[in-house]
Amino acid sequence: MSKLSNWQTPVFITFLLLGLLITIQFRSQQDYLRDLPQRTTDDLYTILSKTSDKKNELEKELQNLEWQQNLLSSDVSADETVLNQMREDITRQKMALGTVPVDGPGVAITIESDLSITEYDLIDIINELWNSKAEAIAVNERRITSWSKIYWSEQAMALTIDGGKVTFPCTIRAIGDPERLQSGLELLGGVLDNLKFYNIYPTVEKKDKLELPAAGQYTAKHLTPKAD
Amino acid sequence: MWVPIVGLLIGLFIGWALNIPIPGVYAKYLSIAVLAALDSSFGGVKSIFEEKFNAAILLTGFFSNALLAALLAYLGDQLGVDLYLAAVFAFGVRLFQNLAIIRRELLSGWAKKRRALKEKRDSDE
Repeated sequence: MSKLSNWQTPVFITFLLLGLLITIQFRSQQDYLRDLPQRTTDDLYTILSKTSDKKNELEKELQNLEWQQNLLSSDVSADETVLNQMREDITRQKMALGTVPVDGPGVAITIESDLSITEYDLIDIINELWNSKAEAIAVNERRITSWSKIYWSEQAMALTIDGGKVTFPCTIRAIGDPERLQSGLELLGGVLDNLKFYNIYPTVEKKDKLELPAAGQYTAKHLTPKAD
Repeated sequence: MWVPIVGLLIGLFIGWALNIPIPGVYAKYLSIAVLAALDSSFGGVKSIFEEKFNAAILLTGFFSNALLAALLAYLGDQLGVDLYLAAVFAFGVRLFQNLAIIRRELLSGWAKKRRALKEKRDSDE
């Protein structure tokens, strides 16, 4: 069929380009058909229902996750409540131990003279104050705790509390119900009544606000809580 | 004879391997260009059978037809006239004519061969 000999190259080139064009067009047409506007109504309906199913699923999952989050955050807030309660407990215990400074209403007993007061008198007064539901007691600037020692020091020739001299005029301050504390002290035949025999006349003053210092740190080396 | 088929296959392969993305908007113009290219290619094959083959005509026709067809379709879109239909019609008709001619030429070539073979056999007997 070919008397013409030079037809091969141009025909080859044109057909090569034709093939190239066809594939490119084929590809882009496939992509184009996959575009949403080219789909049939049924196809679109299927896609829509599938997508809305998936959406529902995801919404459910979201709800579930939100619920879990709520649960976890409420756990956290519960933990915080417990923590706050524990802090409060600790503070209360510390106040009771006397290792933190405290303030509150109460009475102040002032003893002017040191001539004839003994450690027993001081202990009596303190006992009476505890008895009248005093919540914290300090003698001068020394807080009375469960490990306070009140004694007559032979060396110092002085009334001492925890190794510190009690200087006069001495002020005993107690936090509690002022009325109750005062009436407890001034009971007929009570502590202050007895001191009158020795010509000691302490003054009792009710105070709206007293500030009591902290005692030194409490250390428990040998104590362990008893197992229930 | 095998040259166009081999060229076509290689072209298809290259196009497949390169995977050139065409934005959806231009797909329509490309399709017209493909139609024009098809027309030119078969026109080329036809001209070989008719022994009127001219490389310059084939190559310029191939590119200018494709480009013009695409441009015409684009212009038609801009004017609101479906000019691409004109291109589809013109190239489609010519494509079928060319294919018909190629088929006839092939058939007549085959028939000639058979007749020659038969005459040869007859003369042998």
